[in-house]
Amino acid sequence: MENKIFEPKIVAFVCNWCTYAGADLTGTSRIKYAPNVKIVRFPCTGRIDFMLLLKAFGEGADGIIVSGCHPNDCHYTSGNFHARRRWISFRSLLDFLGIDTGRITFSWVSAAEGAKWAALVNDTVSRIKELGPYTDYEKVARYYEEEVNHE
Amino acid sequence: MARIGVFVCHCGENISATVECDKVAQAAAGFPGVVHSIDYKYMCSDPGQNMIREAIREKNLTGVVVASCSPRMHEPTFRQACSEAGLNPFLCEMANLREHCSWVHEKGEATTKKAIDLVRMMVEKVKRNQPLYPIRVPVTKTALVVGGGIAGIQAALDIANGGNKVIMVEREPSIGGHMSQLSETFPTLDCSQCILTPRMVEVAQHPNITLYTYAELIGLDGFIGNFKAKIRKKAKSVDEKICTGCALCTTKCPQKKIPSEFNEGLGKRTAIYVPFPQAVPNKPVIDKDHCTYYKTGKCKICEKVCPAQAIRFDQPDEIVEVAVGAVVIATGFTIHQTGFFPEYGYGRYPDVLTGLQFERLASASGPTLGEIRRPSDGKIPETIVFISCAGSRDPAKGIEYCSKICCMYIAKHAMLYQHKVHHGKSYVFYMDIRAGGKMYEEFVRRAITEDQVNYVRGRVSKIYERDGKLIVKGVDTLMGAEAVEIEADMVVLATAGIANPGAEELAQTLHVSYDGHHFFSEAHPKLRPVETNTAGIFLAGACQALKDIPESVAQASGAAGKVNILFSKSELTREPLIAVVNRSAPPEYSTCVGCFLCQPACPYQAIEKEEIKDRSGKVIKTVARVNPGLCQGCGTCVAFCRSKSIDIQGYTHEQVLAEVMAVLEND
Amino acid sequence: MNEYQTIAAGLLSSGTAAMVIGYSEGSAKRVRPVFFTRPEEASTLVFDSRCVQNIAVYLTKKEIRTEGKIAIIASLPVMRSIIQLASEHQLSEEKIIVIGITPSGEVKQFNGFDALDAYVSSTTIEIEARYREKIEQVEKMTLTERWNFWKNELSACFKCYACRAACPMCYCTRCTVEMNQPQWIPVPSHTLGNFEWHIMRAMHLAGRCVDCNACAEACPLGIPFNLLTKQMILQFKKDFGGYNPSLKGLNILSSYLPDDKENFIQ
Repeated sequence: MENKIFEPKIVAFVCNWCTYAGADLTGTSRIKYAPNVKIVRFPCTGRIDFMLLLKAFGEGADGIIVSGCHPNDCHYTSGNFHARRRWISFRSLLDFLGIDTGRITFSWVSAAEGAKWAALVNDTVSRIKELGPYTDYEKVARYYEEEVNHE
Repeated sequence: MARIGVFVCHCGENISATVECDKVAQAAAGFPGVVHSIDYKYMCSDPGQNMIREAIREKNLTGVVVASCSPRMHEPTFRQACSEAGLNPFLCEMANLREHCSWVHEKGEATTKKAIDLVRMMVEKVKRNQPLYPIRVPVTKTALVVGGGIAGIQAALDIANGGNKVIMVEREPSIGGHMSQLSETFPTLDCSQCILTPRMVEVAQHPNITLYTYAELIGLDGFIGNFKAKIRKKAKSVDEKICTGCALCTTKCPQKKIPSEFNEGLGKRTAIYVPFPQAVPNKPVIDKDHCTYYKTGKCKICEKVCPAQAIRFDQPDEIVEVAVGAVVIATGFTIHQTGFFPEYGYGRYPDVLTGLQFERLASASGPTLGEIRRPSDGKIPETIVFISCAGSRDPAKGIEYCSKICCMYIAKHAMLYQHKVHHGKSYVFYMDIRAGGKMYEEFVRRAITEDQVNYVRGRVSKIYERDGKLIVKGVDTLMGAEAVEIEADMVVLATAGIANPGAEELAQTLHVSYDGHHFFSEAHPKLRPVETNTAGIFLAGACQALKDIPESVAQASGAAGKVNILFSKSELTREPLIAVVNRSAPPEYSTCVGCFLCQPACPYQAIEKEEIKDRSGKVIKTVARVNPGLCQGCGTCVAFCRSKSIDIQGYTHEQVLAEVMAVLEND
Repeated sequence: MNEYQTIAAGLLSSGTAAMVIGYSEGSAKRVRPVFFTRPEEASTLVFDSRCVQNIAVYLTKKEIRTEGKIAIIASLPVMRSIIQLASEHQLSEEKIIVIGITPSGEVKQFNGFDALDAYVSSTTIEIEARYREKIEQVEKMTLTERWNFWKNELSACFKCYACRAACPMCYCTRCTVEMNQPQWIPVPSHTLGNFEWHIMRAMHLAGRCVDCNACAEACPLGIPFNLLTKQMILQFKKDFGGYNPSLKGLNILSSYLPDDKENFIQ
């Protein structure tokens, strides 16, 4: 088991109009990237609840990508602006708690940036590979199970 | 219990070349709740769609996952297929195995495993889908057009000619707007009145258009298809039904020295007046602020001379309420006035004019009957200077933007001057010449080459008076920043175009957003240039940003087209992917506590207050409600609501959380 | 009787207020909140440095809301809470009289929210030096040290929700922690759930917390989770240029500026 190469589990929270479409373009352009990332689609970055990021780490994600439309390009005009404020405060809170914000990639990827999406995924995957599995959080997340097993 | 069908598509070899589709189907068959799982070469083909339809009927499926291409590609196709088999279309979801998996990864175990994870994710989502039904909103097929300038006129005529009713509200006593003040128009130099007035008459006579002049919009409630507009018709003090428009009253009125708004203060008018000879409606109104009777209680000369006995001093303002389905805002612009350019002496020197004043001087119907004469002494100016960018593109003056129309009208002014004063000399000081329009550059060239207008590239620093002349001091940056001094008889400033003074207030009345300069904001700067963020409210003309006549007309026709599309059906059908605030049994009624912090987060003003009342009508609780006519489904409120009382159909808390859990599940 | 006692008694005897909420002497030299309707009870009111419980928390309670007009003895944090609650449409100004006691001990009666808002806006929320030092200390730790610090602190929490009960801003009738469809936060008090609860609480107080410390005072285990909201306030002052409850201002997280600055979005 120890010899097995670490393949990080990464969830991407993306908006439907820019980044999801951008990732579609990566596909139609046949640009290859690492298969570690799985995309969950949202109407807008404004819809992405900060709790979902916590739940992802709690369920064993080693990394997270959050991406949407560039400022001023939001399909709903201001969802990404609201999201940006949310991420500014949430990220600072996580950092203060000792949660590794280096495991969360925040990005703007437009529907025309298929290549950027591929590069973003590859960068995130290689960064998380260097960081290794998020065992700190996992230990906490598995705490309850351990206790149950113990009993 | 859920009965989910999974349909894995090979997409020819597009998916199967790197993903082992049969393994994906096998794995999916083992997911809890999945009762049917197959793979097939082309799911989107007729036989493929038939497989889905048959499985729905035979296996009584409660949900379908099609694992194929991007939902942005074929979601409508598969949802339609499900619908044909009697399954609610919103119980069908797609796993994106092509764009997000097979095309972007190498063949191998990891790729197939990712495909399985993506299918698991969508299976867990679709188990939590609810049947949804399109939202139907009734539509009142009457449009409100606010503003009767060229943009409003064009929009009103296009909507009316499309067979729909229009109510036009104009603040001034006549429609026509700024275009009616212009002498000639670029780049053709045809007379503005000649092309405009027939349209003004058409508006007045059109059976589908109701015209309220001397009136203001004071309130707007409701939402797309169902607005209620409140209009104040200011008292004209004249019974329009009786008045014949003979204008005898205007010749007898003793108040004759009121600066005429239409002539930009260069001419005078009476207290009972028709703003200009071709006004529509061509009936006078009494300006209460200047009328002797309203000020002193004595006079009533107009009443005595009126042959039709149409004067009504006791006429009250009237408030009318109308039901409309759409609104076109076409309130136009204004220009900077007195006091904005102390360095140019404006306001102090009568012969320093704005562009609009020059239009009136050059107009055949203007105060000088089309002769260019100085307001100070009536002399014909031998030398005239035009200054562009007076305020525009000047962050120090608070205006960063280009007013867009000035370069062209300055060229026109200079030409008109040269045509009327053959021996005169004209100078234009400019920063850049922006002539980006059809035949525009050619027009400016004509001014320079044929009419010998002297274009000087540079800024004017100061204007002052010396011996009855206006001394214009500037530099010519193309001649090595050489100082230039011109002794002019008249100076025309192309003052910056700005939003109307009441624009901010109107935007708030209409619940539309506006920019830092109080121009109304379009819904999307590129793709939705005639819509506002509020569904059912559209923009036309310079109230959105400064633009010239052809652009205003084009946008107005675009807005009218949008209105006519909206009015083409008696009901508006919308996708039900919208936010909903929960409701529960008494005594809670909803977990919403009515903090309304979600309200500012909504880009569409879709969140309303709903009062929950008991049988006696007493308010028990005030909670949020999402107006389904306005919500566009971004979900920003959903992520913001602390008590999670708002959820968004199609992307509910349960659905997205289940997706996250499923995609990370260990296997 | 002293000034605020006299005012309270006067309001009750004239019938202007139906009830007064304040503090009185409790057991073991502690103060307790007191609710009374008879003017003669006004003499039991006390106000001193021990009055740290934020009694604005009672104003949103159903039992109090039906009592008619309430007069409340309000320290500055209580006044701030009232303004924040009013901006969230939770209080109506016809039903509240504020007997404010400023940090310098001045008694000010406010009959309308506008006057109270003007007073509250003239003050600013400043994080006390001892907390700023502690926050800096935590910020200086390495990521792992910070994680271990908080893991250690938060693992003690047994989710009694005293922090929530003490907070005037936690007036939701159904807290998300009690939601089970879906179950956002696990019910047992293990470290993961404790982390999630305290992160959620801090995020829900973002831009709303008036820094009264009532939550931390209420915690039976003395967990310093108020550092989270305090750190946020410091951060907001830096990132969004100011932090103060106000009737007219927009909530920090439900508003934005197109040129909000960040340095982490790629």
